[in-house]
Amino acid sequence: MGYTRVRHYHGGMEEWSDRGASIETSMIVAERAAVRTATRQSSAARFSWLETLAGWRLERLIGIWLGMIAVFGVIYWLAGLSLGWSLRAGSDWVKPDLEGLETALYFSFVTALSIGYGDVIPTGALRVPAVIEGIAGLLIFGCVISKLVSRRQEELTEEIHRTTFDDRLDRVRTNLHLVFSDLGAVQQLQAERGALPGQALRRLESAVRVFRGELQTIHDLLYASRLEPDEETLESLLANLTICLQSLIELNSARPGSDGVSVPLDTGLHSISALAVEICGECVPRQHAQALKDSMDQIQELARRIA
Amino acid sequence: MKANHELCERGIFYEELVARLEDRALVIVNVMPKEIFAAGHIPGSIHLPITGIEAKARQRISNLDQEIAVYCAGPH
Repeated sequence: MGYTRVRHYHGGMEEWSDRGASIETSMIVAERAAVRTATRQSSAARFSWLETLAGWRLERLIGIWLGMIAVFGVIYWLAGLSLGWSLRAGSDWVKPDLEGLETALYFSFVTALSIGYGDVIPTGALRVPAVIEGIAGLLIFGCVISKLVSRRQEELTEEIHRTTFDDRLDRVRTNLHLVFSDLGAVQQLQAERGALPGQALRRLESAVRVFRGELQTIHDLLYASRLEPDEETLESLLANLTICLQSLIELNSARPGSDGVSVPLDTGLHSISALAVEICGECVPRQHAQALKDSMDQIQELARRIA
Repeated sequence: MKANHELCERGIFYEELVARLEDRALVIVNVMPKEIFAAGHIPGSIHLPITGIEAKARQRISNLDQEIAVYCAGPH
């Protein structure tokens, strides 16, 4: 956009509010947004109870479902005890005794699961709670099943993320190793001939481009990644990064002034320096072990030497 | 892409930002949608949502050498 002095505050609003700094709000815009949200909410209000139900935890839903079955079972049993109409098992009335309670609970389970064997049936007004239980049982049980399915889906998604993330880390490690080999080969050529021949310069430019890309990945990993690499992996990545930077510094300092002029190389080195200088123990958002912090500090120090 | 590259070129940290809240030489820019900006932002920051930022930025910040700190929801 042409602006020359733009700086990015990586922590964003989250860090700003987390660290307790003051926050300003714009009431008019916020009120308008609140009105819009309220309008949306009123249209969705008819189904809000269903969403509330779906929002509950699996254990809670199962608890409510079992509780509902027990309460309805007692209702069927008590109805026979006090009101004169009851459940019928075949040609017999279900009696208000202990055996009757068992039958009432059995009927309640069968109704809540919408099985309907037909061996026990409600009579008279008892059909009303039986229908209500059937509907409620279906809704709650539906939520339980959807929770189970979505829980498995979340596990799978997490697994896919993790695998992709591990693959990405492996690729970064491999590429850094290739960059290091390339830098070594260029260094050897330079030592043999005392200058950088055209082909070696091109190879160096290519290695610097790959290095810049991988450095950006490590930078994102430290600053923005949702997943966190384990310390061992991070340690090896930082070690690879350090040796590549050291090799680059040696090459750059030995580069003869007129022979090795290359705009893409200088731009690449500038970008590498700008990215690597933001890698230090205290700069990155997460806290790491002291050894890792030291490695990061070393990388920042090396980045300053490139610049 | 060019804009993103420019935005991420250098960082500014919390401590400096807090210390320079009153500094008129630094323009703090919030690039989040207006509802989120309205709900809470860094005091004194101006709102330039990321959609159409190029045109709006030229209107609000005409000096290309102006020191600017950009932030969004973060952290990244």
